[in-house]
Amino acid sequence: MHKKLFLVGLLAVFFFTLHACSNPGRQRMEDETNTLYVGYQADSFPTSFMPWLSREGIAPTVASMMYNTLFAFDLDTGNFDPLIGKTWYYVDEAGEPLLTDDGEIDYERLDEIYSCPSYDYLPVKVILHDDVTWSDGTPLTVEDVYFSYDTGANNAISNHAGALAWTADLQHSYRDGVLRRQGIFTYDHGAAEQGYVIDEVDRDTVMYLHVDKILGAVSSLFTSMLILPSHIWEPIISEDNPLNSASPQGELLFHYRNPVGSGPWTLDLDASSGQQIVMHRREDFHLKDDDEGPLYKVDTIRFLLFQEINVAIYALLKGHIDVLNSTVSANYSRLFDTHDNIFVSEAPGTFAQTLVFNVNPVESERNPMRDLLSNETVRRAMALAVDQQFLIDMVLNGAGEEMSPGLMPSHMEDFYNPDAWGVIEGDYEARLLEANALLDTVIPDRDTSGYRLLEGDRVGFDILGHPGEQDLISYLEVLFERIGIEIDYAPKGSQPERTYLYRSRFDMTLQTTIFSLQNIDIMYRAHFVTIGETSNYGRLIDADMNAQIARMRSTLDLDEKYELIKSIQPMIAENYYKVPLYSANVLSVARTDRFDNWQVVPGATVFNGESLQNLRRVHEGE
Amino acid sequence: MKKSYAIKRVLYSVFVFVIVMALNFFIPRIGVADPAERYYPPQGNMTDAQYEIIKQLTREQYGFDVSTPQQFLNYVGGLFQGDLGTSFRSGSPGVMELIVDRLPWTLVLSVSTMLLGLIFGIMIGVIAAMKRGRWQDTTLLNASTIMIALPGFFIALLLSFFLGFELEIFPAYTDPNMVSDFGWNMTAILRVIENAALPVLSMMVGSIVGYAQGTRNAVIAVTNEDFILTAKAKGLRNTTIRYKHTLRNAMLPIVTSIGMSISGLIGGQVVIEQIFNWNGMGTLFLEANNMNDYPLMMGIMLLLSGFTILAILITDLIYVLLDPRVTVGDRR
Repeated sequence: MHKKLFLVGLLAVFFFTLHACSNPGRQRMEDETNTLYVGYQADSFPTSFMPWLSREGIAPTVASMMYNTLFAFDLDTGNFDPLIGKTWYYVDEAGEPLLTDDGEIDYERLDEIYSCPSYDYLPVKVILHDDVTWSDGTPLTVEDVYFSYDTGANNAISNHAGALAWTADLQHSYRDGVLRRQGIFTYDHGAAEQGYVIDEVDRDTVMYLHVDKILGAVSSLFTSMLILPSHIWEPIISEDNPLNSASPQGELLFHYRNPVGSGPWTLDLDASSGQQIVMHRREDFHLKDDDEGPLYKVDTIRFLLFQEINVAIYALLKGHIDVLNSTVSANYSRLFDTHDNIFVSEAPGTFAQTLVFNVNPVESERNPMRDLLSNETVRRAMALAVDQQFLIDMVLNGAGEEMSPGLMPSHMEDFYNPDAWGVIEGDYEARLLEANALLDTVIPDRDTSGYRLLEGDRVGFDILGHPGEQDLISYLEVLFERIGIEIDYAPKGSQPERTYLYRSRFDMTLQTTIFSLQNIDIMYRAHFVTIGETSNYGRLIDADMNAQIARMRSTLDLDEKYELIKSIQPMIAENYYKVPLYSANVLSVARTDRFDNWQVVPGATVFNGESLQNLRRVHEGE
Repeated sequence: MKKSYAIKRVLYSVFVFVIVMALNFFIPRIGVADPAERYYPPQGNMTDAQYEIIKQLTREQYGFDVSTPQQFLNYVGGLFQGDLGTSFRSGSPGVMELIVDRLPWTLVLSVSTMLLGLIFGIMIGVIAAMKRGRWQDTTLLNASTIMIALPGFFIALLLSFFLGFELEIFPAYTDPNMVSDFGWNMTAILRVIENAALPVLSMMVGSIVGYAQGTRNAVIAVTNEDFILTAKAKGLRNTTIRYKHTLRNAMLPIVTSIGMSISGLIGGQVVIEQIFNWNGMGTLFLEANNMNDYPLMMGIMLLLSGFTILAILITDLIYVLLDPRVTVGDRR
């Protein structure tokens, strides 16, 4: 008896000791400082923070907080907002700004001067803020920007695919490590020789760029290329020791892990580990709010890793974290209704989920069934049978919007064309009737189950998808059954592009698309024009549309560009090639008992830059 | 133990390891035209010429620019120097460095689970066998049926929610400071124990049931042997019969299951580690898989295979110690 009592007592002491030790959940609840606890669902946290290289999980988010691009693209206005760069404009041959009286870009004069074939570039003048510093206190100058662009374009010292793509529209090229054409001009790098006048006083803040003769050429350059500190990297990297060495050693490795950036946040290396990342606000960050106070309202951000979404959601509900920087499935939305202090953000999505038909398979992958998909009548019938609202209700629990067949979100007001809707008109039952009537002209025979027959075989297609897309595919199966077409799920695997999509080995697949002024020059070509290893998986060829896209890319008249984008949307719709299924809203959650005033931003979770600029600390009793 | 038997077993294990090493190298290359494309899929508006340059540089950096047989020789050469290659993840850390970083944390969970599972499993199994047909035995059988039907992740989630989030007895997920603040002092060790409690408990449930069932069945089988009857007839004490004669002879199947569980011991429990944010080998393998980081996948697979082969070798040798009648390949 005594033995048993002793054992029970021992166990009780053991559990009490453990219980009293620590609990990661209590840290946030007992924290009185201005620290934001952010849950992040991922497999792991990165331990290397070279911004061009780190691409896994949260790495791009962390990189964009520690480093800056020149400008940020504003999806609402289509303008570039200042970051490192203060302003920019195109210039004429004498380097004078091409601006209208109200300070807007003068596209008319730009077109007038540079539409001439003798020019194969557009000159751009960029002026930086004069008070930007790196987190080690060194001032940031145009030479840092020169170094970053120059390194990105020179694959002998930086074989970084992203950087090469970001600088692809910059007319600054290397071959075998030798500069062949200079397209970046600063006071110290040939501005005067090129005929651009930069005053001595502006030598650190003014630069000129030569970019490809398309209006979207500056987009990637301005908004994707995180600027690196030349004083850190220039002395280290060389052809023998390139920027993304496979075996970084010594100083290179040190700087991979000890980032010096110009962004508003710095990394607290001592407090960070593979499971949490701690970042502190830089008090000397050059951008301030309207009252000249800090732009971002929290002092510290503590990212906590959660590998399992259910655990992350429960951690939020129990108050272990302030916000979850991951999207939450609509299936969870009711879970939050019964909890106090929870803010559910349902932001409009910017992506369109589409069903892509293989309309033009390579010769070796053709078969009678796939040939049906090259028939526009069949594709139109299938597009008519898609009931977007049904899919939104069933797959997204209602958390989504219908997407135009022109694949342009309606909030892109400047160039959204509502006429593209006209291609798929009428109530759903009427559309089903039309769809069946259309198919009766091509494949009229049916089997006893009502499925259509082609040369005695049931008409059926596989939809290539990820396991997470099986739900959607099963509802598409329901919809297409109504027009006598059978649908099956086919797993995509880990490398669908290489295995299936680029090789025409598929009937249909699911693909998300996002089009905005920022990417449209690249994306329209990638999705509808270029045949090969691009997003034009079904190898659509439409000469008229291709000509319109080429014209849209090359025009220097912004109004004409907008009109062309509008006119291309009905063409996209009428091809019935990438048929929209829905645009899913972005659902995310935050607590309001420590911080409130969370902001809803289209396409983003509630942990976004706007929220960070507007958060308010809630104190006890409020 | 016959010396020749041991030598044969060792040589056989080395042969198997060489085969595994070759398969481990060649299988990931099947169907991959160019490994560099795995590292750098085509991007954005990059031209074919630019992409070709990138691929060539990547091939050179990762040693894909030589013939496959030469790559294999380089790989084997590297292995002899303890070099498992370079991971594709940013910063290009060495595969060995990543594994060494994670392996101890997985061993904390796995070794604890195995030891506790063994102790409790054998105890419960012996009791159930001795009380055959009574409530102790039927309880074990019923519990086994339920526990085997319950997936590990479900048990882990239940424990995390009830003992972690609701009752706050143990941390519901790993304290992020556990690894970064670790040192050989009582506070840090206690922190590891409390953070490991729920993952170990989740893994232990299945483990106890497995060992208990195995022990029960083996003990019952041995109890019916003639030599046990002889021992009883000789008037030996029950505890002597139970532990010296019955349990020792019932150990063979248990030793087998320990041997077979070694690979799980090293590989970790992917789902359990995921639920409790435990950064071990299981999650490392998952990350490698999700990132198409096949040098890392190859490294982990090779390590697992190596340990499994070693464990089987040791099991075979222990078998002979426990039961001298056992010989492999002996046709007499």
